[in-house]
Amino acid sequence: MIKVENLQKRVPMAGGELEILKGITLEIKSGQSAAIVGASGSGKSTLLGLLAGLDEASGGRVEINGRDLGALDEDGRALFRAEHIGFVFQSFQLLPALTALENVMLPLELRGDGNAEELARHYLGRVGLAERVAHYPRQMSGGEQQRVAIARAFATRPSILFADEPTGNLDSGTGGHIVDLLFELNREERSTLVLVTHDEQLAARCERRLQLDAGALVES
Amino acid sequence: MSVTASRMLVRDWRGGELGVLVVALVLAVGVVSGISAFTTRLQTALEQESHRFLAADTVVRSGRPLPAEWLDEAASRGLDVVTTLQFPSMVYAGAENMFLASVKAASDGYPLRGALVASPEPFGEPQPADRGPGPGEVWLDSRLFALLDVEIGDTITIGDADFRAVAAARTEPDQAASFTGFGPRVLMHYSDIPATNVVQPGSRVEYRQLYSGAEDQVDAFTEWLEPQLVTGQRLLTVEEGQPGIGSALERAESFLLLAGSLAVVLAGVAVALAARRFSERHHDYVAIMKSLGSTSRAINSLYGRSLLLLGAIATAFGCLLGWSLQAVFFALFSDQLPVQPGPSGVRPYAIGAATSLVCLMSFAWPPLRRLGQASPLRVLRRDLPLEQARSLVDYAIGLAAVALLMWWYSGDWLLTLAVLSGLGLTVLLGMVLALSLLRGGRLVGMRAGSIWRLALAGLQRRGNANALQVVIFGMAIMLLLVLVLVRTSLIDEWQMQLPPDTPNHFMLNISPAEVTAIEQTLRGESIPSQAFYPMIRGRVMVINGEELPAVDDPEVGRRQRESNFTWSDELPPDNRLVAGSWWEKGTDEALVSVEEEFAERLELEVGDTLEFLVGSEPLTAKVASIRALDWQSMRPNFFLIFPPKVLAPYPATFMTSFHLEQGDKVFLNRFIREYPTVTVIEMDVVVEQIRAIIEQVSGAIELVLAVIIAAGGLVLIAGVQASVDARMHESAILRALGARRELILGGLLIEFAALGLFAGVLATAAAELSVFILQAVAMDMAYKPSPWIWPVGGIAGMLLIGGLGVYNCRGVVSTPPVTVLREL
Ligand SMILES: Nc1ncnc2c1ncn2[C@@H]1O[C@H](COP(=O)(O)OP(=O)(O)OP(=O)(O)O)[C@@H](O)[C@H]1O
Ligand SMILES: [Mg+2]
Repeated sequence: MIKVENLQKRVPMAGGELEILKGITLEIKSGQSAAIVGASGSGKSTLLGLLAGLDEASGGRVEINGRDLGALDEDGRALFRAEHIGFVFQSFQLLPALTALENVMLPLELRGDGNAEELARHYLGRVGLAERVAHYPRQMSGGEQQRVAIARAFATRPSILFADEPTGNLDSGTGGHIVDLLFELNREERSTLVLVTHDEQLAARCERRLQLDAGALVES
Repeated sequence: MSVTASRMLVRDWRGGELGVLVVALVLAVGVVSGISAFTTRLQTALEQESHRFLAADTVVRSGRPLPAEWLDEAASRGLDVVTTLQFPSMVYAGAENMFLASVKAASDGYPLRGALVASPEPFGEPQPADRGPGPGEVWLDSRLFALLDVEIGDTITIGDADFRAVAAARTEPDQAASFTGFGPRVLMHYSDIPATNVVQPGSRVEYRQLYSGAEDQVDAFTEWLEPQLVTGQRLLTVEEGQPGIGSALERAESFLLLAGSLAVVLAGVAVALAARRFSERHHDYVAIMKSLGSTSRAINSLYGRSLLLLGAIATAFGCLLGWSLQAVFFALFSDQLPVQPGPSGVRPYAIGAATSLVCLMSFAWPPLRRLGQASPLRVLRRDLPLEQARSLVDYAIGLAAVALLMWWYSGDWLLTLAVLSGLGLTVLLGMVLALSLLRGGRLVGMRAGSIWRLALAGLQRRGNANALQVVIFGMAIMLLLVLVLVRTSLIDEWQMQLPPDTPNHFMLNISPAEVTAIEQTLRGESIPSQAFYPMIRGRVMVINGEELPAVDDPEVGRRQRESNFTWSDELPPDNRLVAGSWWEKGTDEALVSVEEEFAERLELEVGDTLEFLVGSEPLTAKVASIRALDWQSMRPNFFLIFPPKVLAPYPATFMTSFHLEQGDKVFLNRFIREYPTVTVIEMDVVVEQIRAIIEQVSGAIELVLAVIIAAGGLVLIAGVQASVDARMHESAILRALGARRELILGGLLIEFAALGLFAGVLATAAAELSVFILQAVAMDMAYKPSPWIWPVGGIAGMLLIGGLGVYNCRGVVSTPPVTVLREL
């Protein structure tokens, strides 16, 4: 359950402030899938980062599973993320010095999971990379890296999964495969899925569609 | 696409990319030029200080009159000149009292360097004097007043002339710390010599000409003079003027040189780090320019020119900084310095500039140039392994460049070698560490508990990068340790050389009958004294049957020599056998033990047979051993030692040395009256002089050490910062995945502390090697291992690097992860 009230984000810039999000209010129920769409620069990534507790809002509130993220400090949010949230970044953000397996194990290890390696292998298998566990990110294609990132996001069985343009860097075939994978895993794990996309087809597969325009939500 | 170098630099500056590099460059130039200007000026000052012990910049000495034309020539070259004469002569007071004194006559202006010290009454408060005695006046040694039974203002006679005693002579700057010309001092004016009629052809006189002036003029004059010297005339060096001070100053100079060289290396490392970071951050820039169609030539010339321009600008500011650093220092401390600082010239600034430019070009440019030549695709995909192999070559070139710079700076290849072997050992151990981290680390990394696992995983994950960092930290720590160690042993040695109760008076001519009484007198006054040594004067006449020439020329080594003998059944303390063996106690074999330098001059070896003349008695003995001894110890020392039974038939007097506090000196007056035939030589002012100078030199050394430690700290900070980017990125991802603050900081702390510990231990090993080479070979000191330094090095490294690392990364736990990820 995600509840957002009058969420604002401003950043300082030369000669004043840039208002990126201008008061967003929305609600996404548990188990729902939602797509955030909008023109480039409209604030999609910013909104997603705030929802996931990766960033601090300038105003308004974000409540996830009944917890007010604004009331937590950076450390509290980190703990909360470890517990509840998975995130697939627009630019993968894998650790270059770790193998695929180690990258997926990382969040599990952070939680002190006893069978981190087993789980990590399982999810890498689920995204079709069982053979590539020992490879480093730079030895993989963009699509493969993205699949590692997805395995990493699902490995901790988060109740909410955020994905920022998971197919943005991929061809439509690979992209389609990854989207299938996302929805499949989402169904299996019964998690909430919030993703940002430019792809109308992908947006259409989600139960809800949130359109951002210059930092404001427009009903659609 | 055309981007000018200056425009790129301006953009980089605005984007915040250049800051670190510019700061490193300016600091490097500033520290190197500042320290080397500082040490150069101090060195010139110390050199001048050392001239004090010649009482001039250059001195010619001879047993025969020296040509007056030399004085004219020197004067015409704008030099100051002084003539002195020294000879033994009877001094009379009235009809009864007379004593054999060592007379020195000096012309106006003496001394040209340093100052005369006199006191208004015998044994009174020593005070520096502007000038020596004028015509018709003399200064007498304190104890001569008692011996001649005269007071200040009374008249004494030397030869045919009368003089008025106006002051007590205490010390002359060029009064050697030995008792070659013993007998109490009488100082008189040079113009009075003819009136005395004591200096006749053939009398034992030492003639000196003293010159001083601007350094280059003195050098030019010395060059002119040298070829004209004939046998028997010689130029004096500082070492002969005052052996103790000479070597102290020489070592202080080596220390300063070492400190400056280390500054060069430290600065080189700092620039190398910043340059690396610069080129890494420009990786994408090059990739994009290439993909937009820039040729590799265009990229090469762009970066070549940018870096040169950057180096030039930073050098200008750095020189300014360096100049201000030393100027501020001298402004603050000039009145505490023993001497006026000399000029530094432009060399320090040239060295600073060269250091930064050479390091910039050898560390920043090669990687960028290679990127410029690679295909854009490879640049974009960052083919790391290739890059790393090549960068090893870069480092080697860089290190070679730094070594050359250091050699250029110090002009001393031994010193350079010593430091380089330390650096080399650091690199070697660093490589071993890298290998073991990469091999062994992985297994360990997967099992341990969570913070430790994270830290260990971090360590082995970045195996190569970490090893490089350990090497860099290790180098910086090593250089600091080397300096600390050398400083400590220098200062220890100096303090050991002159402990508070160093004997500062010598007593000679004690008749055997007086020994017990004098011993008791001294003990009664609780004056600490050394043992009483018998002393016999004799002359070496024949070596292995070969008659020695009877010339009185200090230049000839193998000639008849007069010397003091003693006897002993035991090797005296501080003496060390270098050849042969010591005789058995109570032997009556005709043996002799010879001092090393004496043996060298006479070309003696163990087993040679010597024939002496003691008074008019002959004595033959075989060389049993050769000894080295410490002439600076201020204890009685002898060139020749015989077994007691061998010298027993010859008449001997005794000598000893003792320590007397300034306030207890009146004792001497009583003592001299009681034992008028005993000669007392006062060395207290000389000992104090040496002590004062050593204190000042130690102070200067501590200061330079502090400056270098600050510079080393900067390098460590730069080193930590260079590695912060990668760790921040990683920590931000961990943070996004939900890692707790303690986990991230704890992991970083352990990782950095481990790096610091490795670096510290590595540095300690390397420092010991360097110090060993430095002390044993380059500085001619006794090497002593310093076990205390091992824990200190390791723990200091751990705390320092651990603290700095966590401090620099602390932002990552308080900043939202998106911000960190966006910025990197
Ligand atoms: N820290 C920041 N400083 C300055 N501007 C920012 C910052 N963060 C976001 N912006 C600006 O806010 C706007 C929204 O950014 P955001 O990344 O959310 O866009 P987006 O909708 O995800 O675009 P895209 O579809 O291109 O990914 C952009 O104009 C961006 O430049
Ligand atoms: Mg975006």
